[in-house]
Amino acid sequence: MAKVGVYVCHCGTNIAGVIDVEAVRAHAETLPEVAVARKDLFMCSDSGQEMIKQDIRDGLVDRVVVAACTPRTHEPIFRAALEAGGLNKYLFEMANIRDQDSWVHANDPEGATAKAKKLMASAVGKAARLQPLEDKFVDVTKAALVIGGGVGGIFSALELADMGYPTYLVEKEPSIGGVMAMLDKTFPTNDCSACILTPVMVDAGNHPNVKLMTYSEVEDVDGYIGNFTVKVRRKQTYIDWQKCTGCGACAEACPVRTTNEFNQGMDKRPAAYIHFPQAVPKKAVVDMEHCINCAGRKLGQEPKISKKTGKPMLAPCELACPADAINRSLPLDPQGRIEEIKVGSIVVATGFQVMDKGWFKEMAPEHPNVITALQLERLISATGPTGGNLYMPSTADKKPKTMTFVSCMGSRDEKFHTYCSRVCCMYMIKQARLLKEKYPHMNIYMHFIDVRTAGKDYDEYYVGARKMGVNILKGKVGGLQIIDDHRLRVLAYDMEAGTPVEYESDLVVLATAIELPESAKKLAQTLGLQFCGSNFFKELHPKLGPVETSTRGIFLAGCCQGPKDIPDTVSQAKGAAGAAAVPLAQGKVKIEPILSEVITELCSGCGICVPLCPYDAITLKIHAEKPRAEIDITQCKGCGVCTSACPSAAIVLHGYEDEQIYAQIAALTA
Amino acid sequence: MEKYGLYLGCNIPFKAPDIEQSFRKIFPALGVEVEDLEGASCCPAWGTAPSFDLDLWCAISGRNLSLAEDKSVDLMTGCNSCFGVLSEAKHFLHDGQRRKRVNEKLGVINRQYKGSSDVYHVAHVLHQKIGLEKIKEKLVYSLEGLKVTVQPGCHTLWPSDVYHVKEKNPFYPTMLKELTEALGASAPHYSRLEACCGMGGMRSTDVEKSLGLFKEKLLSIKEEIDPDLIVTTCSSCYLQFDMSQPQLRERGEIDFEIPVFYYTQVLALAMGFDPSQVASVSKTQRDGIIKEIQSEKRKTDKTQA
Amino acid sequence: MENLKLQSEKINTAVSTIIGLGGTGILQCVQCGACSAVCPGVRAGFPVLCRLLIRKILDGQLDEIIEDSSSWGCQACNRCTEVCPQGVRPQEVVFAFRRYQAGELAVSTSTTTSQMNMYEVGHAVFTDAQELRQQVGLPAKAPTSAYNETAQKEIQTLLNNSSMAELGLF
Repeated sequence: MAKVGVYVCHCGTNIAGVIDVEAVRAHAETLPEVAVARKDLFMCSDSGQEMIKQDIRDGLVDRVVVAACTPRTHEPIFRAALEAGGLNKYLFEMANIRDQDSWVHANDPEGATAKAKKLMASAVGKAARLQPLEDKFVDVTKAALVIGGGVGGIFSALELADMGYPTYLVEKEPSIGGVMAMLDKTFPTNDCSACILTPVMVDAGNHPNVKLMTYSEVEDVDGYIGNFTVKVRRKQTYIDWQKCTGCGACAEACPVRTTNEFNQGMDKRPAAYIHFPQAVPKKAVVDMEHCINCAGRKLGQEPKISKKTGKPMLAPCELACPADAINRSLPLDPQGRIEEIKVGSIVVATGFQVMDKGWFKEMAPEHPNVITALQLERLISATGPTGGNLYMPSTADKKPKTMTFVSCMGSRDEKFHTYCSRVCCMYMIKQARLLKEKYPHMNIYMHFIDVRTAGKDYDEYYVGARKMGVNILKGKVGGLQIIDDHRLRVLAYDMEAGTPVEYESDLVVLATAIELPESAKKLAQTLGLQFCGSNFFKELHPKLGPVETSTRGIFLAGCCQGPKDIPDTVSQAKGAAGAAAVPLAQGKVKIEPILSEVITELCSGCGICVPLCPYDAITLKIHAEKPRAEIDITQCKGCGVCTSACPSAAIVLHGYEDEQIYAQIAALTA
Repeated sequence: MEKYGLYLGCNIPFKAPDIEQSFRKIFPALGVEVEDLEGASCCPAWGTAPSFDLDLWCAISGRNLSLAEDKSVDLMTGCNSCFGVLSEAKHFLHDGQRRKRVNEKLGVINRQYKGSSDVYHVAHVLHQKIGLEKIKEKLVYSLEGLKVTVQPGCHTLWPSDVYHVKEKNPFYPTMLKELTEALGASAPHYSRLEACCGMGGMRSTDVEKSLGLFKEKLLSIKEEIDPDLIVTTCSSCYLQFDMSQPQLRERGEIDFEIPVFYYTQVLALAMGFDPSQVASVSKTQRDGIIKEIQSEKRKTDKTQA
Repeated sequence: MENLKLQSEKINTAVSTIIGLGGTGILQCVQCGACSAVCPGVRAGFPVLCRLLIRKILDGQLDEIIEDSSSWGCQACNRCTEVCPQGVRPQEVVFAFRRYQAGELAVSTSTTTSQMNMYEVGHAVFTDAQELRQQVGLPAKAPTSAYNETAQKEIQTLLNNSSMAELGLF
């Protein structure tokens, strides 16, 4: 009979504060399969682990149960202890008496203790029947994929490329650069966003190990850590990028004017356009949704012949292109094409969007002089629609005399997002400082619930704004009244004076919340990513696994994991790159043997399991002239669907075998 | 014919019965039947039961709502406060335990709150049920060329989560503006459109503070629009505008008075009804503008209603 | 100004009193001030409303402000509720505080008249307008509780069976 050792953990007061640990330990001693039962303040500490190792070495135990926190974080630790003690590490079972017991039943110590006994006994039942298993290893594709070409994605890609790994950088827009490329200057040093970002974009464009895939989206991901197969949709650009020189002649010729997303809708762009002047790659695309097919040039048709001149009638963009990169006669597929790439690890850096002002009904969202902070960035940027001159949007050339900044629009608000967007206080202060420098006579009023400046040199930057004469008020703005097409009345509150405040303002800037865009939600399904409570991508562990995800081989960087500023994004991006390089450097990845296996002799070849497998891991192969199911271990995730569906009971899921599960059920229902 | 239970409240039947009469004239003419809710009481007003006992508030509102429920009609009120109080009470009565307690109270007087009748404001019925086109069809006089300030009042706007008829944006309401424009008048925007008039609990607690708030709003109206008349769909706002303008004028704080009407009074006038019945009780001088509205030159080609 | 002496017992009593009287969201308040930015009462000069009223209650100052008339300057417009980012529903806190005041009879005389009217005729605002009604062509008696004894009895029964009855206002 197996000799099971049971080790019950106090987890400080996490468990012992609710559960009677000694009672659980004593109960273990009454179970026939248990050889030793011990407890410790922290089983995961050096002394706790040593206790297990010593019992193994002394030959007291040959199966181990730890009743403690959660296998999510601690299973690997105890498995390693078994291995160090000289026991197969899969002869281990964990009873989760913290996350699933003491934490959820904190008000019922007696019930929690009774439940802990059952959970422990069930783990003992299973452990006694565990079989030793061996890890399997497969080779790794030594290449990486970074999804998202903002500042985070660019730095992740450059790090991986510098380490010598070929790295694909996929960006949905025509150029890399992301939101940072839209910013004017950056806090707390006021360096120009373009000046510090553009060279890095160029580096990414020129790096021999970086393959830029812009105007592209990840459509499907298959495989597992070390061996992902990724389908990337290269969207149709309608312009031959092999030939395009980025001269912009097509954009100048195009007569269409449609919303310019890069300028946050503050001006118009043509249908044939270059994303922005510093774009990398600097290539033009045609936005076919807004193209008006000048000269009747429908795609894939020969041009009409002019009756006057007898020459073919071409569209202005075709005529303008000196590189012959536009040919509308070609039957270009609007769907673009799919390119399949193989990589060993993936960094997701898909970034964020800011909320639209339309959500904030009390803030006169229809008024032209109510704008989001990102719109203001474009209005003060040298590359923006006004060349960096701040004009009231309701006019073509008038500067605001009085300006208002409103914080926490959609952040810290149960109607929208309960979290703090983290960067708004600082970027508003930055905008106010830049404007005060440029226009010293402008009145600037800033309204905060409170000013949050946690970061290196941040508070000094904020106090500096006060010294410059920026008016800072604590208290949330309650609404705006529309005076006329140009002016608004601000209804605010001065928390310190305890009095309501009202004044007229020419321009109101809303610091709208950072959130995950809809498109990222689709990507999450493709990649199997989870969401946190704030609807960002969820990291493996908030402290110890900040760049990892629950899917091995997929890592996170930047605002897709939660709101953060540029310094934090770059830090996380470099961290994610380091973590993503680990499997590539190891060259092989371990596959846990918790996998399903077909006992060929029992298989009837019915094939029921084949379509049921969510990972397409099962095929029918011919054995002794008969079809028999076979499982590809590199695809199998050990979910057990095939095992439970097999009518011949011919599929074993190692680590979850029938008699192990029956023993668990018996213990739980005893 | 669509039918509503007409809930009168207090202000309208006892202080401005000409408003009540205007309801009784215009709704049948626009194809809506109004049925009296006999024995209806105060909603109860904010300063009464709501300020003393939450369950009692719900019980008195519940009784009023049950009068409509017994007749299987939705309830319609011309008073913003009543609309707010009754809607909030319905909201509180979603809580099953409160509902049980309140129905126990109502059981003593052989009544029960079922929750089967909705609460509408007169403006909602006009705007959403009857519709602007139908209103336009029935006009005998056009208000073209007249400048009107609209005063929607507070209690149909907030809290939007308890009202089942909502403005698209409760901070910049448009229903009354559209209703007024349907009469042919212009109803320009002014900055303090949604601001409080100062009536209500505030006025009974401190009349000076109430007048301060009112004056701020009135001056904004005068400076930004300088209208021919003010139109409201709130009976409390109506009373504040009607009594406070002469008050401020007597004190020399203002040197003007703008005629003020409840919306259905102007509508009734435009539909050709007798002003001595539908618009005859006021402190501000309205005779001139009434004559202007019902003048020959404003006649549309429609026959009198 | 005297120091404010914070006492946990007073704070707990104040908060639980207000929650019990219907101000259930009070502990969600983060003191952002949006409510007071738009409150017509605060604008008109009733300072202890919305944000400041909540602050005083959270400081346990229930008895210190019991005679303050600010709460009766609340217009019940609920604009505070509409703009509150934390779902406090500040108006419910104001009304809970009013109920606390009313329970201690800290109410104005104008308030007591309304309660008497309510008890007698079922209307807070009532003037005998029979003549005026006839002038505009309406029946002299409005079809409300004002002239309906059964209805008045019902209202009186409801009032008698409530906490208001103990206050001796009618």
